Amino acid sequence: MKGADSAKNTLLNEIIKCRACRFCVDACATYQASEGVETMSAYGRLQSLRYLLMGTLDLDDSLVYSLYSCLQCKQCEIVCESKGQSLEICSIIQLGRSLLSQKLEKGESDAAI
Amino acid sequence: MRQSRALISEALRNLKNNIERTGDPLGLKNTYWTDWAEGLNLPKEGSTILFTSRMYQMMPYIMQTTDLISTFKPFLVMKGLKKVVRIGNRLAGEKIIRLKARGAKDIKEKGAKSLKGIVAALKASGVDPAYLYEAEPYSGVLLYDLGLDENIGSYIKKVYELLKKHGVEKVIATDPHTAYMLKVVYPEYIEGYDIEVKHYLEILSENKDSLEKACDFIPREQFVIHDSCIMTRDLGIVEQTRDVASSLGIALLEPENTKLNTVCCGGPIEYAFADLSEKISAIRIKELYGVTKNIVVNCPICLINLSKYEKQLGLRVLDMGELFFEALKNQSESIQ
Repeated sequence: MKGADSAKNTLLNEIIKCRACRFCVDACATYQASEGVETMSAYGRLQSLRYLLMGTLDLDDSLVYSLYSCLQCKQCEIVCESKGQSLEICSIIQLGRSLLSQKLEKGESDAAI
Repeated sequence: MRQSRALISEALRNLKNNIERTGDPLGLKNTYWTDWAEGLNLPKEGSTILFTSRMYQMMPYIMQTTDLISTFKPFLVMKGLKKVVRIGNRLAGEKIIRLKARGAKDIKEKGAKSLKGIVAALKASGVDPAYLYEAEPYSGVLLYDLGLDENIGSYIKKVYELLKKHGVEKVIATDPHTAYMLKVVYPEYIEGYDIEVKHYLEILSENKDSLEKACDFIPREQFVIHDSCIMTRDLGIVEQTRDVASSLGIALLEPENTKLNTVCCGGPIEYAFADLSEKISAIRIKELYGVTKNIVVNCPICLINLSKYEKQLGLRVLDMGELFFEALKNQSESIQ
């Protein structure tokens, strides 16, 4: 439990470093293919994860779709770096997945973190 | 988007079970993973090994499994969906998929040619790796990508111990996903990790003069390159691909988004979200065929995802390994 709490805090501390410039949004291949749904972009995924970790959002189909459809291609990180921030966005999303996957795999009905 | 939670839960469970049961992500036990190497007489032991992680060999199974899921998905209620995912993911080895996969001769041949071409190119460069054949494990990349952390640590440890047992000191990976796992992820889980890992294009680029001498290839067409995301942004392999292609006499054309700015083919999410994956690959293939109809890729996942447009759009999508196969035909044919 302590490990999960620590991972949760690490993730939140990383996510709040995002300055919300949103330059990564257009660069995301899943955002382009979804015709402009922001939760399908890097920025949208970070915010979804943030509010999930804070307990504001529940883990429903749309959130699972958003987080597990990330290609982990790091296109967003190239943009983030070019804007002087260099967040490891894909690692943050992957860590978020690892918190969720243990629960989803066990089929727990409440997969909130 | 509908039923995503059930779909992912089932996919995670099946992946975990498959790996535990058979050591294979698709749950396959007896397949043709080593058929491509028939007649090559590669040594079964050695300090330097070729590591395919079955990625090229799995291509027909991946295609059949994702086809099955995407065909049934729109018509199914949650319970039915789970069943199909279970059949598709866990028992890709079921007779129907196995037979269909074996019937998918084109893609199977592409995979075999790619691997044979890679071996021929390495040999032409003076590198003669061993291959563990049936003992070769899967890298575990899907466990890692999907965040199955409870399982990935022990799995990586098992693979590492197996490699050490076989006296492996250096690994030559044939695809970027495996290279990334063994080079970047494994050291995070194994203290004192001491296996040197390189992608084969790095090795070839270090020995490009020998490759050039061995090559009897006069390319008639121009090729546009689709870089793999992992290859460029994770492994930093960009110019090596161009250098090696130029050793074959091919000047690669660059699409709009290329090198570090390359765009994903959509492959990594095809296992669960085939429709979204297809939209992404459709955007990328347009960019590529806007340059020329001959496309070169350097990753088996990109190869599956982009080659499905070959018939529809009248394109040719080749793996770098297939180019080596053609360029070194004399050597490749002698090992067929």
